[in-house]
Amino acid sequence: MDLLWLLTRKEITLQYKRTSLGILWSLLNPLLLALIYYIAFIVILKIPKKDFPLFLLAALFPWTWFANSVNASTVSMIANRSLIKKFPFPKHFLLTAGVFSQGVHFLLSLPIIAVLIYFYGKTAHAVWLLAIPLLLFIQFIMTIGVSLAVSVINVYFMDFQFIVAFLLNMFFWMTPILYQLDTIPDPYRFLSLYINPLTPLMSSWRELFMSNKIHWNWMIIAFLSSLVVFFAGLIIFRRLSSRLDEVL
Amino acid sequence: MNQSVIAFDHVWKKYPLLKDRPGFKEFFVNFHKSFKKRREGNNYFYALKDLTLKIQRGGCVGVIGKNGAGKSTFLSLMLGTILPSRGTVMVKDRVTPLLELGAGFHPDLTGRENVVLNGVLLGLTKEDVLRKMPSIIDFSEIEDFADVPVRTYSSGMYLRLAFSVAIHTDPEIFIIDEVLSVGDEGFQKKSRDAILRLIKSGVTTVLVSHNLQVIEELCTRALWLDHGEVVAEGEPGMVIEKYREEIIAPRQKTSL
Repeated sequence: MDLLWLLTRKEITLQYKRTSLGILWSLLNPLLLALIYYIAFIVILKIPKKDFPLFLLAALFPWTWFANSVNASTVSMIANRSLIKKFPFPKHFLLTAGVFSQGVHFLLSLPIIAVLIYFYGKTAHAVWLLAIPLLLFIQFIMTIGVSLAVSVINVYFMDFQFIVAFLLNMFFWMTPILYQLDTIPDPYRFLSLYINPLTPLMSSWRELFMSNKIHWNWMIIAFLSSLVVFFAGLIIFRRLSSRLDEVL
Repeated sequence: MNQSVIAFDHVWKKYPLLKDRPGFKEFFVNFHKSFKKRREGNNYFYALKDLTLKIQRGGCVGVIGKNGAGKSTFLSLMLGTILPSRGTVMVKDRVTPLLELGAGFHPDLTGRENVVLNGVLLGLTKEDVLRKMPSIIDFSEIEDFADVPVRTYSSGMYLRLAFSVAIHTDPEIFIIDEVLSVGDEGFQKKSRDAILRLIKSGVTTVLVSHNLQVIEELCTRALWLDHGEVVAEGEPGMVIEKYREEIIAPRQKTSL
């Protein structure tokens, strides 16, 4: 447990180690991102939807947590080769620490969402106290599942990291982040909801921040699919990691 | 005392011969061939072949052999960073490695931060490491640099700190790979004394070294590996003599 905590802290501190603003970047990064989207969609494209920045960021921030974690996990085994070869410790700690540290950055971006919510004349709600931990848990399970799979596969096929980058991009557009779930035409909407586990998850986050509601249907679909993803990832990890030392 | 803490039972370790890493393209192009290859099964290199041995608690075993004889594979199997391809490896006590010193160090973390991370990787709790911090820093003789990133260290300082962490982790089984010559002469003596103290205090030690004299001095038993197999084992003087006769003598002749 000490080790997991230390590895997480190492990830977080190292990211900003030699910068002057330090962890403030975790706040500044999403803020600047929000500004870009505001200019692009409200100022330039003149989208009629006034609360579009909130609408967007409510799904984009959790997506960023997912995407950054998966990106980091893909190269995690190779980046930490010397640790893996010289010390006997559970390899999945490296992935868990990565997902945790990205999760901390995500939590640090939540105040920006809170500010936007007040800006658009809404308020936070007690339901957050229940929903946020639930959604954090579901997303953690899902992310770690994907991370487990991609981290070992990439050791055997280094080409895989480029495929992962492409898939992440594809899923970004396949998941209702820039648009609403309702805008997907009918038959595909259900496909997206049931086949892409990120759809119900990101939609749940948005539903929570936009209307202070827990959409139990989406939440349950997200939870069940996160379990599927997790166990699939675990099986792949188990099968491939026993021979990992031979190719690493 | 005579309880065996390490037991290898018919252990084999093979590695695929990675001439060129097969990518996706080759994988698909050679899809039909890949099954054939697998059946032929001769694309492997055997690092250890049918190794069976036991090590008693409190002993010091010296491992000798040429480069590529399987010594490091043997150590890694004990450490648990690699798994045997066949056979079983049983290790009862906690293993502390002294392999590549400073392998776990991160250049951007300070000396102290690296000590904590390394100590925990070696199996201590965080409190343990913090409690031992003063003596770790003291032993490594880097007091003034404990709080600066290790990337600014000289290579000697780096190695001294890494050695100091390992020696302070209360090892139960200590495995050492060719790292007895760390730092300047003063520190070399100090580190050798520290290892000697550990051996005398009854810590099981497995030592890989090309320095035959060191093995003869420190060890109670020696093991000679060649091409993954045990050539000789037993009393260090006897094993080393055989080794000298067979390996070193002919080489000297040819070089003349």
